[in-house]
Formats: sequence, structure tokens, C-alpha cells
Amino acid sequence: MSETTASASSGQFLRTLSLVALAIAAIFAADTFLAKSEEAESRIEADRLFKLGQSLLDRGNSVEAVERIKDALEIERGNRDYQRLLAQAQLTAGQLADAETTLDDSLRVDSTDGPANLTMARVLVKEGRIREAISFYHRAIYGQWNDDAQANRLKVRFELIDLLARQDSKEELLAELLEVQDQMPKDASARVRIGRLFLAAGSPVRAADVFRGVLREDNSADAYTGLGDADFARGDYRAAESDFESALRLKPEDPAATKGLDLSSRVLTLDPAVRGIGAAERFRRSRILLQMALDAGACVNPPPEDLLDQAEKTLKERVNLDGQYNATETNLDLAGQLWQARIAGCKPAPDPSDPLGLVLAKAAAQ
Amino acid sequence: MRRWAAKVRDGIEGLRRSDQLLLVLSLVIGALVGLVVVAFILLTGRLAARMYPAGGSGWRRILLPVLGSLSTGYLLWRYFPFARGSGIPQTKFALFVNDGRILFRTVLGKFFCCSASLASGIALGREGPSVQVGAGIASVVARNLGLNAKQVKSLVPVGCAAALAAAFNTPIAAVLFSLEEIMGDLHASVLGSVVLSSATSWMVLHLVLGDDPLFHVPGYQLAHPVEFAVYAVLGVVGGLGSVAFVKLLLRLRAWFATWPQSTVWFQPVVGGLTVGVMGYFVPEVMGVGYNNVDKVLNGGVVLKLVVLFAVLKIIATAVCYASGNAGGIFGPALFIGAMMGAGVGSVAHTLFPQYTAGPGAYALVGMGTAFAGIVRTPLTSVIMIFEVTRDYNIIVPLMISNLIAFFISQWLQKEPIYEALAHQDGVHLPTAHSRDLAERSQVRQAMREPAVVLSPHEDVTTALGQVKGGPFDAWPVVDGDGLWGMVRNRELEQAASNGPASQKLAEILAASSPGWTPGGEKLPHVHPDHSLSLALERMGSTGLNVLPVVSRANVRDLMGIVILDDVLAAYGVAKRGNAMVPHE
Repeated sequence: MSETTASASSGQFLRTLSLVALAIAAIFAADTFLAKSEEAESRIEADRLFKLGQSLLDRGNSVEAVERIKDALEIERGNRDYQRLLAQAQLTAGQLADAETTLDDSLRVDSTDGPANLTMARVLVKEGRIREAISFYHRAIYGQWNDDAQANRLKVRFELIDLLARQDSKEELLAELLEVQDQMPKDASARVRIGRLFLAAGSPVRAADVFRGVLREDNSADAYTGLGDADFARGDYRAAESDFESALRLKPEDPAATKGLDLSSRVLTLDPAVRGIGAAERFRRSRILLQMALDAGACVNPPPEDLLDQAEKTLKERVNLDGQYNATETNLDLAGQLWQARIAGCKPAPDPSDPLGLVLAKAAAQ
Repeated sequence: MRRWAAKVRDGIEGLRRSDQLLLVLSLVIGALVGLVVVAFILLTGRLAARMYPAGGSGWRRILLPVLGSLSTGYLLWRYFPFARGSGIPQTKFALFVNDGRILFRTVLGKFFCCSASLASGIALGREGPSVQVGAGIASVVARNLGLNAKQVKSLVPVGCAAALAAAFNTPIAAVLFSLEEIMGDLHASVLGSVVLSSATSWMVLHLVLGDDPLFHVPGYQLAHPVEFAVYAVLGVVGGLGSVAFVKLLLRLRAWFATWPQSTVWFQPVVGGLTVGVMGYFVPEVMGVGYNNVDKVLNGGVVLKLVVLFAVLKIIATAVCYASGNAGGIFGPALFIGAMMGAGVGSVAHTLFPQYTAGPGAYALVGMGTAFAGIVRTPLTSVIMIFEVTRDYNIIVPLMISNLIAFFISQWLQKEPIYEALAHQDGVHLPTAHSRDLAERSQVRQAMREPAVVLSPHEDVTTALGQVKGGPFDAWPVVDGDGLWGMVRNRELEQAASNGPASQKLAEILAASSPGWTPGGEKLPHVHPDHSLSLALERMGSTGLNVLPVVSRANVRDLMGIVILDDVLAAYGVAKRGNAMVPHE
């Protein structure tokens, strides 16, 4: 009898356990289905909000875009695309601190995220933290890009180059330009731009090479103008004059080429060291330069009386043919001293493209 | 086949009789309750998403809570009367009054009515109902397995812990809540089972829903030690806010109780209409509102709004609960606390920006503060917020704020909310006070010096001469080394009639049970700090009306004796003749 009872209660025990096991399996299946459908619906809703945010951002409504992308991120936390777009929207909306926080979160998960590093660099540029920004530009250049990595990295490099050019950081600019020299784009205008940046970085020789490279393939007025500027910066005013003339033949009204031609012509008319002129002409030019330097030095306060007297006296002196060589040297020397006095004693500083300064600098270098 | 069936039957029988049965069942109940609570969360969320689609009309916010409360109100009145309200008082009632018995119908009613009610926007929480559902599942499973009432009762807190671990995603706080609030005893013997079920349930939650936390909180930081003072202020504000909420809820509930019985099914509509009208203008008041808590935790809501949200939520939750809707007050407590915290934090940050963190940090601490003030479980509230943040730095501010709120709440509202709710229903649950009193009734209050102490070297005749006519069933036997044991009158009389008169007491004690040693394990005894109820239990199990009281440091050190009459007298009952009457 007791065995029957035990068997009956064992049966009940087993039946209940089996039912519980079945219930666990069934509810697990139901939960998984509900969770998956919720996840799918949430993803669709998040995607809708993300796209709405993107279109708002494209239309310039960045403040509203920030809110919609935040809503999307609330549904799909940790979505890196959403985080990047949110940071961009915040940057555009001027919410720089928020953008930095968003990017901090994103970069904490993956510090090699190229786009996130680029946006962070842009945020820091806006905040005026240039050194940190340069560091983030480098992280972006060497970071991970999901698609078209090479083109994106080059784009970032150019953005950094532009920043360095604006900051007048010549050495860093040159270093970056040397990195892109081997990856020179095919597009002529982009190569002209690189040539220009080499010029800005203080490397006219490399700039001239770039422009010549362009001109080998394309008769571009901009390339001629750039080459003119490069030759001018190297002190080869004759070549520069020729380049500017070529540029103006292709693009007659080009203001940069016109200005460059005018400047190089003026320098050439003043330069006493230019080839093909005789001693008398050199002497004449040296007197003109001294007169110009004397006029320029009039603003110096207190006036360098000895120097001015000496210059005036020299200009009044009559020089015979034999003495012209020495007089030329004296004139140029005095003109150089007066120009230095003007640079030190007058404000504003003279224009770096002032023909007088250029000719005297060239003469001093020789 | 038969042999295999017999083996299975033997295995099951072995499990049934095994001491490990409760632990195995804790795992099973943990998994089952975890899955049911996850289903509850998902179902409520799905229903709410259907009822309130993005860009839906504002009128829905009035119409749906009214319809939801009307339909669930009728169902609760007609079919599931025990599924009203939060579920915590009902669970405690089942545990302490009803031998852990919760009907399957109640579990079903709670699950579906709460899902519909919360999805329609009723301003209540899902955690209390989850606790009742979890406890109910544990009870139903245990009873169907043929377990006895004691075993069923010990599985009820197991179900509670599993439910709360899944509902809040806080397994440690779930264990503490189960012990602190449900059992009312942090040293309960079911601790192992509760921990096991809580951990299992939490794992199930993560398996199905992933690792997404309940709240996404930014890193907590204490800006300056001065902030401790601000957290103390938050404790005061949280305590006063909690008392206001509890008093309002209880008064409204008492007022609804005065309505005619025939209106019970309709009363929840008052809550639905209140929350609907509020929600039309301020949608944040509706539902559980955890997404708004998330925003506040991340510092995304301004001062005026957080104050408005806190006030409206207090009113909405009080009306919804008091009118008889199905839902709990845990979630609203966290919402109200977050808003109060953000309010205090905003003011402090405006006044002392250098010395205080942003409002989000205060909202986080405020959640625990309101929980401690309303639910009155200070330890659970500290651990819960710690589990949410997983940041050790928050512990001290939390403790300061929570304890202040707890003491203010205790001072201004004597009766904790769940006990008060049970009282309103005519149920007297064992209160913390009564448990405290029970703990204070210790053996040391009733013990006395033994009138007669026998020596193990005495013979039976001498001993009988000493104890003859004495009122006790047994007598302590002591020598220079301490207590030997208790010799019973029956044993002395038997020895005197059957053996030689010169038989020593030591021999009688040695013969009383196999393996007996002086002062050994077989000696029935109590310690001075034992409860009188334990002394009564031991008297019952040994059949003695007297027990030796021995030192915990040395069980052979006899400190006195405790007798049945003294124990009864300590409980206020004196023996007069054969009848037990109240002690004068």
C-alpha cells in the first residue's frame, strides 16, 4: 500500500517537473521571439530616426538633427554610425562640449576609429586646441576606415595640410606635403594646389617641380602662374616673368599672373645684377635703389642722420666711368643699410613682395 | 524498460528525500520565474508600443488609461481579486498567514492585468507585481510537487528574489529585498536558495535580453567633500517626499474603501482618468517612466520640469494605486526619487557649481533615497543603486542620504507602507516591531539559579532524596569540571527500582543514550541569548519542562536553568491550576 502511495506521489512529482521543464522551454521560445521582434522593431525605428537626423543635418537644421539622432542612439546604444553622426551634428550646431563627450565615448570603445578621430580633430580646431587637433588628425590618418580607406586618409591629410598652412607651421606643413608627394592625385587642379602648398611651406624648388609636372601634361594657366611664383621665390625673376607671360597668354585677365608679371618686371628693371647689362646701367640702377631706400628710410624715427647724410652725399657725387664699379657697390651697401633701418624703425613692416626689398635681399645674398 | 523506469523512480525518490531538493528547485524556479518576468517586461513593452505609436494623437493618452483601468478593474474584481495592487503585501500575507499558498489564477491575473494596465499608461511599476508572480510560481510549483507547507513557505522568497533580480537587473539587491522585506530576517535559513534563484534568474535575463542595463548612467563622481552636506539635504527632501507620498496613498486608499462595495470594479477608472488627464499635458507622468529617469540621470531635464514631474507622479501613482489598479510602487518610487534628486542637485549646482556634481549624480542617489523612504529597506536601496552604477564611490553618499530619508520616514510615518496597506485590508502581518520584540524575549530574561544541583558521583538513593517532590522533570548534574547533563526523574526512578541502590548518576547518564559524553552534543540546552520561543521548541522536542542554560564559550559552564512556567510568564501568561490565563 505504501509502495503504491510512494509511486503515485513520485508520478505527480515527475509530472510536475516535466510540466515545469516544458513551461521553461515554451516561455524561453516565446521570450526569444518577443525579444527578437522587439529588437527588429527597435532597429527599424532607430534607423528611421537616424535617417531623419541625417536629412535634417543635410538641410542645415543641426539642432533638431541632434535631438533625432539622440533618440536613435537611445534605442540603439553604442551604434558607432549614430555616434559619429551625432558628433557631427553637435559640431555643426556648435555644441562643442557635447560633441567632445560623444566622441570620447566612441573613441573609448575604439581609439582607431578614423571618422571619429577626424570629427574630434575638427571639434578641437573649433575650440582652438590646435596641437591636440593635429594629434587627432594623425590618428584619423592612421586609423581604421570602413570604405575607401586610402582616399579618406588622403582627404584627411589635405585637411591637416590646410590647417597647417593656415597656422603657418611651415616645417610641419612641409613634412605632411612630403607624405602626399608620392600619392600625387591625377587631377591637375589638385596638383596645382599641392604646388601652392609647397610654396607656402617655403619649398619653391619642390613647388616648381610640381608645377612643371603639371605643365608636362596640361597647358594650365594656373600651373604657369604657380611656376612663376616658384621661380620668383627662388629669385629667378627672368624665368618668373616668362612664366607669368605664358600664363597670361592662356588666361589674359588672370589677376595673379598680371600682378606676378608686373612685380617680376619691376624687379628685373631694378636688379643691378641681372645678366646682359653693362657697368653704366648697373650703376644707374644702384643709384635708383639708393634713392628708393633713402625715401623709404625717411620714416625712421629717430632718423639715422649719418646714414642719410652719407646717402644724400653719395647721390650728389659725380662718378666717372672708372669709379662706377666701386660706386655701384657703395650705393648698394648704403641702400641695404637704409632698408634695414627702415625695417627696424618704421611701422608697418614693408610688404615682403616690395621690389626694393627683394632686389636688395638678392644683392646682399650675392 | 521496467528497470529503467524503476531507476528513474528511484532517482526521483532520492531527490525528493534529499536535503538538496530545495537547492535544485531554487535553480528551476529561478529559471522559470526569470523567463516569466522577462516575458512580462517584453509583453508590457510591446503592448505599450502598439497602444502609443510614435506620433499618435494626444487623445489616446486620455482614452487608453481609462479603457485599460476599466477593463482590468472589471477582471480584477470579477476573476482575480488577489491580483490588485502591488503584490508585496499579498506575498507577505501568503507567506506568513496562508502557508505560502498563492493560487495559479492569481499569478495569471497578475501577469495579464498588470501587463494591460501598465501598457495603457497607468502610473505604477512592474516590480511589485513581478514579485507576486514569482512567489506565486514558486508556490504553485512547490505545491504541485507535493512539498509540505514548510517547504512551500521556504520557496516563496526564492521566487520573490528571482522575480526582482530579473525585473530590476540587480541580483544582490533582489536577495537582500527578499530577506529584508519579504522575510524580515537577514539571517534567514533560505539564504542559499535565494541567492541561487536570484543568480539563475539574472542569467536568464541576460541570456534573453542581453547585457543592457536598466538605466544608462554616466560615471559617478564626488566633486568635493562639501557634497556630503548636499546629500544630507537630499536625504531630508527624499524623506519628506516619501512620507508625503505614503500618507497621500494611504489616505486615498482609505477614502476609496468608504465607497460602496458595488463600485469596486469601477474605482480603478478614477486612477486611469487622473493619469490620462495629467498625461495629456505631461506625457512623462504616464507608465513606469524609466526612459525619463534615464534622461534625468544624464542631466537632460531642467529644474522646473523635474519638480513638476515629481509632484505629478506622486499624485498619479497614489491615485492609481489607491483606486485599485494592478501595479507596484517600486518603479514610481525610483522615478519620484530621481526627480527629487535632480531637483536638489540642480539647485546645489546652481548655487555651488565648483563644489557639486551635476544633477544626474543627485538623481541617481535620489532614486535610492526615495526607495529607502517609501519601501523602508535601506540596505536593499543602497545595494540596488550600487548595482545599477557599479561604482564604489557612490556608496557613502547613498548611505548618508538613504539613512536620513529612512529615519525621517520612520519618524513621521510609523507604519511601513506594506504593513499599513495590509492593515487597511484587515490583515496583521508580523511587523518589524513584533519581530524585534520576539528577538528581545531571550532566555536570559527568564533563567533562574538551579535550586538543586546533583553530583555525578552521587548514588541514586541520595539523588532521589534530594529531588523528591520537586516540580521539574530533570535535574542538572554537575561536578568540578562543569555540567554533565540532565538526569530525568523517570531515569532515577527506573534506576532505583531496577538496579542497585548504589548506582551512580554518572552511570545512569552514560546509559541514557549511546555515545553519550559529559556535556556532549546529546545534552539538551539553551544559551542565554536564545529566544524564549526556541526554549519552548526545545522543551517540546525533549519532553522536559526545564532546560540548562549554558555558556556559548563553554557548554559545560552551567549559567542557570530555564523552566516552562518562567517562559510562559515572560510571554505574559501565568499558570493557575490547569488553565493558562493571562499573567497579571
